Amino acid sequence: MDIRLKLPTLLLQQIRTDLRIPHAFAAERVGFVSCAVGAIVGGIAVLAHGYHPVDDGDYVDNPRYGAMMGSGAIRKALQFAFNNKAAMFHVHLHEHMGKPRFSRTDLAEYPKFVPDFWKVQPDLPHGALLLSEDRATALVWHPGLRQPQPAGEIWEIGAKMRKL
Amino acid sequence: MAKNVYARQSFLGPHSVRTLADLRVGIVGVGGGGSHVAQQLAHVGVGHFVIPDPDVLKAHNLNRTVGARWNDINRKTAKGRIAERLIRGVNPRARVVARPVGWADMRLELATCDALLGCLDTYQQRAELEAFARRYQIPYLDIGMDVTGQEGEYVISGQVIASIPGYPCMRCLGFLTEAKLAREAARYGMAGPRPQVVWSNGTLASAAVGVVVRWFCPWRRADTGLTYLDYDGNRDRLTEHNRLLYLSDIRCGHYAHLGSVGDPFWKATRARRRQA
Repeated sequence: MDIRLKLPTLLLQQIRTDLRIPHAFAAERVGFVSCAVGAIVGGIAVLAHGYHPVDDGDYVDNPRYGAMMGSGAIRKALQFAFNNKAAMFHVHLHEHMGKPRFSRTDLAEYPKFVPDFWKVQPDLPHGALLLSEDRATALVWHPGLRQPQPAGEIWEIGAKMRKL
Repeated sequence: MAKNVYARQSFLGPHSVRTLADLRVGIVGVGGGGSHVAQQLAHVGVGHFVIPDPDVLKAHNLNRTVGARWNDINRKTAKGRIAERLIRGVNPRARVVARPVGWADMRLELATCDALLGCLDTYQQRAELEAFARRYQIPYLDIGMDVTGQEGEYVISGQVIASIPGYPCMRCLGFLTEAKLAREAARYGMAGPRPQVVWSNGTLASAAVGVVVRWFCPWRRADTGLTYLDYDGNRDRLTEHNRLLYLSDIRCGHYAHLGSVGDPFWKATRARRRQA
């Protein structure tokens, strides 16, 4: 299945700016991107629309992880998805140039909470987005597929259009 | 071979040949403006085209439809077929999906495009196509020309407007207004044939092709993402519209809500069926 993720430039700038802000104890920041979905030939387009940073107070102080979300962070994201019929993508930033890669910790943790979004929006795909300073990668849990699938193309849409 | 063909446009970047060959462009309406656009994008090296146009070539189209031939009138050749022939003549490798239907009947194919160009006649059609492009976060470029006035005092005018997700839309730029849409609706069926000429269409289409190429293969760093070109066909001038000077905010408020993005009726079950 062809899965294309689109991120408007202004939204992307907002996300990167927020994720760069130092946190009192967490080594990195995280957030959620709300998306809409539409059909394309042979697949779907996932259309990023809004950014929802995890509140400072919703981080858990656990030095084993770069950032650990408390239950409040997940609950707020679930609530937004439910109220707005949104597909939700967890997002964080690796501050380097080039194609980013999910860490083993990321890949172990996502299956523990990403499928929870199906409890509030069972017909929509949800997932995880990882940004670097100039590229991105994403993993998509599609309700029609048994395994999460990487996004085939991620596009920045703005004054310049480019594949991330 | 391909390297030689595009050697003179190498300033578009080391990956530009591949980028343009992979590009999927939808051209909605391939009459006077759209036929120029199709031809030029084929020359530039765009590799994928989606072309809906329900019309066949008529005698009064021959004065401005690039690629049209005299015998296409008698054969009632579809305008999309003429565009396809034109594109394949320049680039035999190009993939062209052209159908004699309205654009709404090729929604899925158009939703798959990386850029849409609208070469439409009415404000209502423009409003609908822009809303569709916003829904799928596809950059949209509108071109159009008009001849107004009366004998001895005709005015040729036109516009090229970019509508990029997040940036000002055609309503923000004052090109689409409720008053214009209402006036047009009131005149429905009374419009008659509208004057159109090949040189004005060519000027506007060339400018539009430049904008599209710049989106994907920028040849300079600075770019605002704002395009509203005003065409004065009497003075042969294409200038930036004054409206851009008075924009208080470059963020679009008309398509800011989540409901304006995506297909509200999309469900994963549809995807499952398609997969099967």
